[in-house]
Amino acid sequence: MAILGKTADLLPGTLDMLILKAVSLKPLHGYGVLLRIRQISGDALDIPQGSLYPALYRLEHQDLIAAEWGQSENNRRAKYYTVTAAGRRRLREETAGWNRLASAIAAALNTKSEEV
Amino acid sequence: MLKRLRSLLRALTGRRDFEAGMTEELCFHIERYTEDLVRAGVSQEEAGRRARIELGSLNSVREDCREARGLHLFDELVRELSYAARSLRKTPAFTATALLTLAVCLGANLTIFSAIDSILLRPLPFPAPSRLVTVFNTYPKAGVERDGSTLTNYYERRGNIPAFDSLAIYRFGTAIIGEAGATEREQITRVSPDFFTTLGLGPAMGRTFTEEETTYKTDGVAILTDAYWRQRYHADTRVIGRQIRVDGLPKTVIGVLPPEFRFLSSEARLYLPLASRPEDRTPLERHSGGNVIQMIARLKPGASLMQAQAQIDAQNARLETDDPKGKMMADAGFRSIVTSLHGDHVAAIRPTLLLLQAGVLALLLIGAVNLVNLLLIRASSRGKELAVRQALGASRRHVVSEVLVETTLLTLLGGVLGLAGGAWGIHLLAALGADRLPLGSRMAFDARLALAGLAAAIVMGIVLAAPIAWLNLRRPLGGALQSESRGGTSGRAAQTLRHGFMVSQIALSFILLAGAGMLGLSLKRAMAVSPGFRSDHLLTGQVSLPFKNYPDGATRRAFVEKAMSEIGGLPGVLSAGVVSNVPLSGNSGKSAAKVKGRITRPGESPRGHYSYWVGGDYFGAMGFSLRAGRFLTAADSRRAQRVCVVDEDFARYYWPNGGALGERLFAGSEERADAEAFTIVGVVGNVKQAGLTDDTAQGAIYYPYIFRGDNDIFVVVRTGLPPELLGPALQRAVRQIDPDLPVNDLRSMEDRVADSLVARRSPALLAGLFSGIALLLTAIGSYGVLSYAVAQRRREIGVRMALGARPDQIRGQFVALALRLLVCGTILGVMGAWLAGRAMETVLFHVAALNLAILAGSAGVMGVVSLVACLLPSHRAARISPMEALVDE
Repeated sequence: MAILGKTADLLPGTLDMLILKAVSLKPLHGYGVLLRIRQISGDALDIPQGSLYPALYRLEHQDLIAAEWGQSENNRRAKYYTVTAAGRRRLREETAGWNRLASAIAAALNTKSEEV
Repeated sequence: MLKRLRSLLRALTGRRDFEAGMTEELCFHIERYTEDLVRAGVSQEEAGRRARIELGSLNSVREDCREARGLHLFDELVRELSYAARSLRKTPAFTATALLTLAVCLGANLTIFSAIDSILLRPLPFPAPSRLVTVFNTYPKAGVERDGSTLTNYYERRGNIPAFDSLAIYRFGTAIIGEAGATEREQITRVSPDFFTTLGLGPAMGRTFTEEETTYKTDGVAILTDAYWRQRYHADTRVIGRQIRVDGLPKTVIGVLPPEFRFLSSEARLYLPLASRPEDRTPLERHSGGNVIQMIARLKPGASLMQAQAQIDAQNARLETDDPKGKMMADAGFRSIVTSLHGDHVAAIRPTLLLLQAGVLALLLIGAVNLVNLLLIRASSRGKELAVRQALGASRRHVVSEVLVETTLLTLLGGVLGLAGGAWGIHLLAALGADRLPLGSRMAFDARLALAGLAAAIVMGIVLAAPIAWLNLRRPLGGALQSESRGGTSGRAAQTLRHGFMVSQIALSFILLAGAGMLGLSLKRAMAVSPGFRSDHLLTGQVSLPFKNYPDGATRRAFVEKAMSEIGGLPGVLSAGVVSNVPLSGNSGKSAAKVKGRITRPGESPRGHYSYWVGGDYFGAMGFSLRAGRFLTAADSRRAQRVCVVDEDFARYYWPNGGALGERLFAGSEERADAEAFTIVGVVGNVKQAGLTDDTAQGAIYYPYIFRGDNDIFVVVRTGLPPELLGPALQRAVRQIDPDLPVNDLRSMEDRVADSLVARRSPALLAGLFSGIALLLTAIGSYGVLSYAVAQRRREIGVRMALGARPDQIRGQFVALALRLLVCGTILGVMGAWLAGRAMETVLFHVAALNLAILAGSAGVMGVVSLVACLLPSHRAARISPMEALVDE
């Protein structure tokens, strides 16, 4: 996804979380998920496009998101994904877990030699 | 989990939609991305190229998406199934043999299992059926194993046995139903009011009987079964309150039973109240059972059989203390047994059924061994292909799943054929008389059975795949690649396995053969037993005189006399008589008798004797043999003379040194006034009363018909014609005397004798059939194993022959191998046959568990069959031409 600017690779296991977040804001089609993640991450995250769709299918299989065919912005048929109740719950748990992990790592990395 | 399964199912059922949607979604993605890139200033061509590159290979994305849905496993299965189907098609001889083996073995098992299931396993069709019990009196020391229950028992126990929720009695019978001129005899059951509550299933419409309806004046009510209601009243819901004529008396219909109501094996169409007089319920009648009235009870929840038994025993002991006959009954070993209603009903047939199931399981084992052998041979011939594939990277999981899929596909196909075989087998069983077994009419081919069959087929597939997969995995690749090339011999493990299987197969077949032989010999010996009368040219039929028109002895005697003269005048009739019950009818009752002036020896218990009431020329018609004195004649009934005839067993028991003639006896267990004594005027030969294989010398007494209180009689007619031809004439003769009297159960005596052996004949036939199949399978198996051994050692044989070995040396080598295996199998088989014989002892008749003639015969048959099966391949080995064998490949 290198149209513009510099991007970072995704950490393993974070793609599902990002997809859930993206579709929890508004129903999106697959390409829309890609754009939304780029947008909300300030163009900083690059999603390997090849793994986006298997991830979507996996999440749908796990009943965390639901899919339905609808009309796209330019009047084309497209598959729209929405988050389910179970997906929302999962997102909350993952967000909390992520925050704990991130702050722990940040705290660890900010440690100065005199604090040891 | 459930949701994921549903999602997989949705993807599977809408597979085409799933694939199309996936493609559409991915194309949409590429187009949108291209548009965005173009908008950002990239050329149209370059944008399309970049969009496709970034998404990656469409095929691999699709495959990943499928995997996310769990579809890939399914796809793999489909691939393996089609591979398996292809490879099975490529070897039609193997596939046909395997399928036929499976169809026969699984079909036979399903057939017998359907009998086991419907008779032994499926509970009775009532709520909480495990709490239903039956109670019956037994006097083992008097030779009366089973005497039913009495009205007195019922009224004394009702409400007084805490372990019982409720208690009821019933009595099977028949009645003439319908208006004058259009009467039919139907099966009926008379029951106490609490009968339906005890069972837990009452009328679907109307009500049950009340306590008031148990006396003769007020018992004019009836409950219809669903079948009778549909047939006779066309399911008219206004039937309640209608009148129906039973034995000439009007009864009011008060209820209709639900369609699922079926009490044991009863064919009753009508339920009537079991009415009685107060004097029938007194302590004096406590032991007057005669196996007529039966008792059922429902245990309280949580109460055990043992508690109920203890309470019944305690009550019996209490009642016995002030019973004048108590001492005598105790001497006779009197006890009331509480036992499971279902278990008791099927107790007689259980060992035979279990034996047959063991037999077909052995058959299945033999078939399975055949299949394993065939599969092993097939696997070895494919060893090289498999080794190459493994060397090229096929995973171990793949090797196992491929074998598993192939064998399971095979056994499932065989299972489907087996279902067809089972359906046919059930018809065969019915034709052999299985539907007349207790609960046998429940036997049917249903979804439950089909499911059991398919499940068995799958399990069998997995079990069969295991040794093949094991062999495939443990085969060293290098060895496998070489073993089929020059100079190689077969894998030692595979060979030992094949030989072991062949030995076990021979042993199992031997056991089946010997078992069938023992059953067959038992049948032959039972058929050779003389019943004590001449069963040829004898027609029998039952007449029941309704109480309304035949209330006393005089009217009944008048009927019998008229009937005898009418029937005696029919063309082709040589002689005719009547009797209260024909021998071998299956319900010969025993009653007590007391010999006048005889003092009971200490420790001796009173004895029950078969008792018959005869009229006309019964003895002459039956062809009884006279040992001393004279037969009873029609004149004895006319004069109402107190005379009787006894059989040799009776005479020998009481007068071991002879001299029974002129002695006197009383009907009943105690001595009474002299005027009531019967004088013995004749001694006749023994007759098999209960069954041809009944060896107990119980003794029988024959009284003149006039002293009989009951209304059921059998007519026996000796004729010079085939007895069946006489049936219509006999019917007409009886209708001429009383137009409303049908003759029932019209059968030749030979039929009755044959029927009494059905429980021996059918199992023997089936066992014979099974052992025949087993022999065939064993022959196929032995042939296959030896043929393979020859084919594998073709090159070795060629070399040896080139070096000067003679053909008969080669042949001898293979025959010796076959003989070695045969001897091992036979030794194991003899041991197995002995164990089987021990297990079969209860169903054998005059055949020892280890019968040398049968063992020798089985060994002979087994030896001939397997040697013939082995000679062909050995012969082929001897004809191998060294040139061809060495040039081949």
